[in-house]
Amino acid sequence: MSMARTGTRPEHIRPRGGASAMRKKTFWLTTMMLPATIWLLLIRYLPMFGIVMSFLDYKLPTRKVPFPLNLLKSPWVGLKNFQFLFTGESLTMIRNTIGYNALWIVLGLLISVAFAIMMSELSRKFLAKTYQTMMFFPYFLSWVVVSYFLFAFLDPTNGMLVRSQRAAGAAAVDWYNTPAYWPYILTICSLWKNTGYSTVLYLSAITGIDRSQYEAAAVDGATKWQQTVHVTLPHLKPMIVILLIMNVGKIFNADFGLFWSVPMNSAPLYPVTQVVDTYVYRAYTSTGNVGMSTAAGFLQNLVGFICIMIANGIVRKLDADSSLF
Amino acid sequence: MTTAAKKNTGAFRLNMVSRKTESVFHLILGLFALACIIPFIFVIIISFSSENSIRQIGYSFVPSSWSLDAYRQVFNLGDALWRSYFNSFFITIAGTVLSVTMCVLYAYPLFRKDYKLRGFFSFLSFFTMIFGGGLIPTYIVCKNLLGMSNNYAALIVPMLVSPFNIIIMRTFFQTSVPFDLIEAATIDGSGEYTTLVRVILPIVKPGIATVALLTALGYWNEWFLCLLYVTKRDLYPLQYLLMEMQRNAEFLARNSSMIGASGAQAVASLPSQTMRMAVVVFIVLPIACAYPFFQRYVVAGLTIGSVKG
Amino acid sequence: MKKFLALILAAIMLLTLVPAAMADSPVQVTILLCGCNVTDDAAVLEKLNAYLTEKIGVTVAPTWGTWGNFDQLAQDAVNTGSSEYDILFTSSWNADEYAPYAKKGAFVRLDDPEDDLLAEYGADLKAALPELLFEGAATEGPDGEKGIYAVPGFKDFATMNTWDVNVTLLEKYGYTLDDVKNAGFYGWGDIFAKVKAGEEAERNGEVFYPFIFEGAVVERFVNGTPIVTGDANGLLSYYMNTEDVSTPGAYGNVIFNKFATPEFEKFARQMREYYQAGYIDPAIAIGETATDTWRNAQNAANYLISSEVSLYGYEYTTSEQRGIQVAYVMTTDAPFIDNTSVQGAMMAVSANSEHPVEAFRFLNLLNTDPYVMTLMNYGVEGIHYNLNADGEVEFTEARASFSPWRNGVGNVTLLPPEKGQGADFQQRFADFYAASKKLPLYGFTFDSKPVENEIAAVANVKEAYALSLFTGAVDVDEKLPELLSKLEASGMQKIVDEANAQLKAFLGE
Repeated sequence: MSMARTGTRPEHIRPRGGASAMRKKTFWLTTMMLPATIWLLLIRYLPMFGIVMSFLDYKLPTRKVPFPLNLLKSPWVGLKNFQFLFTGESLTMIRNTIGYNALWIVLGLLISVAFAIMMSELSRKFLAKTYQTMMFFPYFLSWVVVSYFLFAFLDPTNGMLVRSQRAAGAAAVDWYNTPAYWPYILTICSLWKNTGYSTVLYLSAITGIDRSQYEAAAVDGATKWQQTVHVTLPHLKPMIVILLIMNVGKIFNADFGLFWSVPMNSAPLYPVTQVVDTYVYRAYTSTGNVGMSTAAGFLQNLVGFICIMIANGIVRKLDADSSLF
Repeated sequence: MTTAAKKNTGAFRLNMVSRKTESVFHLILGLFALACIIPFIFVIIISFSSENSIRQIGYSFVPSSWSLDAYRQVFNLGDALWRSYFNSFFITIAGTVLSVTMCVLYAYPLFRKDYKLRGFFSFLSFFTMIFGGGLIPTYIVCKNLLGMSNNYAALIVPMLVSPFNIIIMRTFFQTSVPFDLIEAATIDGSGEYTTLVRVILPIVKPGIATVALLTALGYWNEWFLCLLYVTKRDLYPLQYLLMEMQRNAEFLARNSSMIGASGAQAVASLPSQTMRMAVVVFIVLPIACAYPFFQRYVVAGLTIGSVKG
Repeated sequence: MKKFLALILAAIMLLTLVPAAMADSPVQVTILLCGCNVTDDAAVLEKLNAYLTEKIGVTVAPTWGTWGNFDQLAQDAVNTGSSEYDILFTSSWNADEYAPYAKKGAFVRLDDPEDDLLAEYGADLKAALPELLFEGAATEGPDGEKGIYAVPGFKDFATMNTWDVNVTLLEKYGYTLDDVKNAGFYGWGDIFAKVKAGEEAERNGEVFYPFIFEGAVVERFVNGTPIVTGDANGLLSYYMNTEDVSTPGAYGNVIFNKFATPEFEKFARQMREYYQAGYIDPAIAIGETATDTWRNAQNAANYLISSEVSLYGYEYTTSEQRGIQVAYVMTTDAPFIDNTSVQGAMMAVSANSEHPVEAFRFLNLLNTDPYVMTLMNYGVEGIHYNLNADGEVEFTEARASFSPWRNGVGNVTLLPPEKGQGADFQQRFADFYAASKKLPLYGFTFDSKPVENEIAAVANVKEAYALSLFTGAVDVDEKLPELLSKLEASGMQKIVDEANAQLKAFLGE
């Protein structure tokens, strides 16, 4: 906090009033950070010693060897706890996790950009507002609630679709036992819940575009389509790119509720609903092994970390101000 | 809406899509918008359908007869229902107020380019977005060290700080607060806290609304903390009440052969599907009522916050 | 490095140490129970604690765990070494699974030669419970020695796998119970066809499913394959002799991959046939709706044949409830005693308890004193139930706010009979189970620890296929070979080999 260091700062942010004012400012601003900092240290950083459990054959704490001394008594097993993530069926779940995420990133992008553009062209703004309000609604619901919504249609005994199929004399589809439908159903659910949110984002960006640019294009004889391609899309590009990269950073993380609650945890659907998060949870409940579940969580963190670092690196190249750190 | 956009509502269609195209847009958007709320309406209808109607024609938009049975069953929960409704509101409101306060206080110095420690504190919060200690160590810290067990703190404190919200808030400061404003206030001799409260906060209201809504939503939909730290029914939030019905059913389904005949009674006493639908209605209703009022701010807030985040 | 780590850990420990409460009398004993639906226990605790304070200087503070939260609570408490609960419910099927957790050192050994709680404070308990319950409760501890790590619940301790038959409906179509028995599982097609057609004609085309059962267990009924204790995921089969359950079946004492035997294939094909003929409700093939559908059909008497892991005297209860005549057809010659039934509901003293002696003394009383047991299980006389002239229990409405899981509390033979059971019910109950037979496998527990990586992988594979094969919901020709090859790829054979090696060692002793 020496004068010399302050002196190296660019003119426009150099504090007025010299070192003591600078110190005072730093002090007061630091007090603002205290509550959340204490929280982060206690609830996020303190438990991080637990990562060591990924590499141990965890022994239970007892009265004689209480937690966390039991960790010293737990033998080091290296990468053994990670093995189960790479045996047998785990390829399917890795394929599902990455596949769904990739598909939904692309579809979500196309649909919400299209919706946003359509909405910006509506002349009755009241209706546009109403659509927007309705489309935003699913974003606020928990997946458990959504699973009930879906169940009302697909329930094998009372579901509306099932009953109407029977009423029409057709054989009712056994929804919760037929994996073939679920990639579509999950996709619809995911889009249904999230499209409203991203449409709102893109729409706001479009309304921020200076209208005179469109008018100038129109005078030059550009059609509406040409205007969209040459005016709207270029303006949306930075936002699209950043959102895209943010999502890519999360490609190894699945939405647990969607893959667990929405298919009603139905076993025959696992080949298409099994993702990293559900796989780990199921493996934990079937073996009760603390080491394995910590290991899986740690691996996921690690992959996520690499993805985010890459994503952040790209963002920084494109627009330094937008990078996360 | 910008003033430029308002021009388009004029009587003549200058540089607009043809009426035909616009009708197609209306059709597509309208259908999707409807699809977004119809399932909820459907669940409301089911919750008011009679058992008889469901047996005969299944779940239907036009049940053959109506009934309040599901709600009677829900009201039979009596105190438990209202208590958990109260808990949900209390946890959501208290949690949101505390959480947003901490978020603003943390994000503000991060945005101040003249704050020396911002690099360190940025990293401090960001790192926790990626790495965590896992369930067991967190549980030990919260329960044994911090005493979060069977109290409201257990349902509020573990979710207080969200690095994601801090980033949104910081970006919001960056995009909507001119730095000169702070300098000017400082020259006027205003303290850091006074500047923040008197000068900055009024400007970033939409950002606060956004973070508040996201936080409130998190609290309202949360049930896992309750499963971990709370066994006293007086403290159950509504979402956990539904989750418990679900989990009871799931557990009995998995283990009924082990529990044997004595589990049969337990299954028989499980709440019916229609009753669970009624609980769903109770959970969604406050959201459906509250969010249209927030929406104006949130739309503005999300745009600025997330675009740059 | 190691020193540094130790230092950090010690610091954390100091932080996490909860200041030990001053030991004042009476000592409070905390219990975590399972499967309870208790919203108001004030009246019960008032009576109970007054009595316990006087009798053994103890008060209890139960946590009435539900089906939905017990696993999480117990697992967290044990894994973190919490002293929150002095007594934990445990069993062969819960998350705090008895044998593995005893081996990991989660529970206090009750017959520890150095500190023999059972001998010192448990004389009444030893006298009250059949010796074979303690035999079945003996399991390996962390030191590799066999010992008793929990008090086994005195309940229906032998397994009765039965077909639950709606006799009223059966007789309506001119069949008798003997027809069902003689035809057997593979020969019910005609009966199903006739009843289904008849019922549907009568109900204006509303669909009727005659065969509604619990998908996860019927294979055991048909093939006579009891649960191999320790096989938490239902991967293994042992074939018993259903004509005399105390002797080994045709294969001898061997354990198989459940899905790889000719018996299993035959069973799966028959189920498929029934399913395709429309005799089976598709809802029982979905994990989420299976139990609801099965139980609802039973309670509404909307079935012909169902499945039940039954217990003595149950015909009366269900016939009364459903308003029909229910019969239970046993699939073995006698109820059989296996670890699963003996270890079905137990109470262990936590290794982290600060008052293990008081906790055990309470367990001793709970399992021997009818007053304590009845309070904990049925509530307070005059509030939760009344006794009628025959000394039978009639529950009041207040019971709704106090319903622990009956078998999950302890010795149910101490309870007064329920309405309609008769005053001598408990004697008949005890006599009935005294005549049950021990399986040759009795006492064997599969320790899955050496193959836990394989189990984690295989369990995920099995989950995806089992229920739909058990209920006939999928094509056997396509799905069974698919399942078998995936199991093989995930290391199933290693699990089977390990189990057989352990079984050999067990029988060789």
